[in-house]
Amino acid sequence: MRIRDYVPALLASIGLTLVVAPLRALLDLSNVALLYVLVVVLSGARYGRGPALLAALAGSLLYAYVFVPPHFSLAITEIQYLLSALILFVVALLVGHLTASLKGRAEEIQAKEKHSRALYDLARRLTATLTHEEVEETAGRFLGEVLQATEARLIAEADFPHPPRPASPAILHAAVERGEPLVVPDPARKLTMVLLPLQGSAGSRIVLGFEITPSVACLESTWGLLKTVASVVAVALERAHFAQVARETEVRMSAEALRNSILSALSHDLRTPLTALVGMADTLTLGKATPERQQAMLHALRGQALAISQQVTNLLDMARLRSGAIELNEAWQPVEEVVGATVQLVKSQWSDREINVDIPMGLPPLRFDAVLIERVLWNLLENAIKYSPAEMPVDIVVRPAGDQVDVMVCDRGPGLPPGGVDELFGLFRRGQVESTIPGVGLGLAIARTIAEAHGGQILADSRPGGGACFRLRLPVGSPPSLEDLEETA
Amino acid sequence: MSEEQTILLVEDDRPIREFVASALEGEGYRIVEAGTAAHAAVEAGARRPDLVVLDLGLPDRDGIDFIRDYRAWSAIPILILSARAQEANKVAALDAGADDYLTKPFGVAELLARVRALLRRRQADRDAPEPVIRFGDIAVDCVRRVVERRGEPLHLTQIEYRLLLFLASNPGRVLTHRQLLLQVWGGRGVENHQYLRVYVGHLRQKIEDNPTQPRHILTEIGVGYRFQP
Repeated sequence: MRIRDYVPALLASIGLTLVVAPLRALLDLSNVALLYVLVVVLSGARYGRGPALLAALAGSLLYAYVFVPPHFSLAITEIQYLLSALILFVVALLVGHLTASLKGRAEEIQAKEKHSRALYDLARRLTATLTHEEVEETAGRFLGEVLQATEARLIAEADFPHPPRPASPAILHAAVERGEPLVVPDPARKLTMVLLPLQGSAGSRIVLGFEITPSVACLESTWGLLKTVASVVAVALERAHFAQVARETEVRMSAEALRNSILSALSHDLRTPLTALVGMADTLTLGKATPERQQAMLHALRGQALAISQQVTNLLDMARLRSGAIELNEAWQPVEEVVGATVQLVKSQWSDREINVDIPMGLPPLRFDAVLIERVLWNLLENAIKYSPAEMPVDIVVRPAGDQVDVMVCDRGPGLPPGGVDELFGLFRRGQVESTIPGVGLGLAIARTIAEAHGGQILADSRPGGGACFRLRLPVGSPPSLEDLEETA
Repeated sequence: MSEEQTILLVEDDRPIREFVASALEGEGYRIVEAGTAAHAAVEAGARRPDLVVLDLGLPDRDGIDFIRDYRAWSAIPILILSARAQEANKVAALDAGADDYLTKPFGVAELLARVRALLRRRQADRDAPEPVIRFGDIAVDCVRRVVERRGEPLHLTQIEYRLLLFLASNPGRVLTHRQLLLQVWGGRGVENHQYLRVYVGHLRQKIEDNPTQPRHILTEIGVGYRFQP
């Protein structure tokens, strides 16, 4: 590269000589000298200091050899000619030097501008990052683009005992203690590892490690850039840290709110039936009621206990759904199967209630977690049964609706409350505020949470002719074909 | 067969143990009670019960381990008592060799029905097997490999026939998806529950009066299927 810069400078001087030599009779000597100065200036501007120096030397010698009488001899007869050759040399030298410095300065500014544009870009990209991993990835991409760095990674203090090669725990600690970047040569890969400590006001001790080529590592501009990178990345990391803290606080606060509402629900809606249980058990122990009364009371006791069990189940379901501990165990399956199984379950509890099921043939299979969808259907059916007159049947209708399938549970109850249907789906919401119908108002909230986890929804409509229809809407998706199965068979 | 059948009841919760024991005693069974797996293992060896009723959550040992050990030397039916929210646990217990389960809270009527069905099956296992299985208006002739409905031959594919035969020869027992896939498809595609569901659907279309509310092939959500004659 160096040599390549010198060759054109030398060639330019020789070329000029060849072009101007035939015209020397026409040109004044001083003009010829100026032409050589021009070559030096151009060489300096184009190729830098060294080539300019060579052009100055070559130009002066060629000038003395070709143009200064006696021609084609370095001998200079007149002192005046010697002087002009020397002045040419000195002027060429000075001008070449100045030009080359200007070029160097311009290049430096250009590099700086490139770096600051890249830094600006980095800062802009870092503002969009929210997590530690995103910061790491963005910083890595930046270092790769600007410094051709590889293997960029954030090394937290917890990972110091097991540092990536060739760093050692001691070097990482030293980098953090001194707050200065440290370099570790990696002779096996002919690279240099840079350990850049990131100091945040939160007191976190993190090192940004990456590998660059030794030639990049010895540039002064690299280190200026890295200093800024370190502070920008440290700020981004800090922001990610606080964002994380904020998210956790928010989760904790909503969990706290949920716990409070569960507690108040438990204290009211479970204590009432429990009081009845204790009272009935005591009455039976006394043994003073008539046999018919005793039978009726035993029957009621069982009913109350089952109702409490159902409410506890709902509370547990909601707590599990809310804690995010539920994993969908999804599989492709016919929707009629889960509907049939749920109806069977419901009938075992409400054996004398009429439930009509209308499912057309040829529905596509859907992908869902059968246990959870059964909970949804159970909750919808339970609501329909509890909130409508005992002699009215409950209808289940399944219908395809475009790229979705609707499972509708319809009753002839009091219908939806005027206005906020959405209210019904909130936690601990009930159609009537104080009601004799047992429940804690979790059923619809659970149903909605489960439906949404499946990419579906629960909709509520008023039913023509009175009553309400709750609609579980599930997406159809694209089920896998069954042809390979037939072959296996 | 002795007049009095013995049931080993393994449950650590005293109130539940008492009510289950008194309900079963009321039906004329002899009850042996155990509160721990260790105690249950001793009693199982000494008393040779006809049925084991086992709570999965025992204080000293995992109920599923107990089933595995027990199945190594005995084919006596096992009825599991489990809390809800334990679907995976139930399936694991059934795969380990349990025959049926009851989810807490359960009613006495339900408990007695399950116990009777399991003991009846045990009796049927001892008798010479029938070459023709009959239920509802269906007859499955295992020798001629013919299925008839109200005397009319019913066309079933190979898979459907194998599935029906396996289900019908285990009446009252919960068969997990995995057990059915292993038995019918022979280990291939054991994870592909969808196949099973499709074939159960086809089978219901052919043998059930109302396929959406089946009477014979019942769905145990999240677990498997149960055949009811």
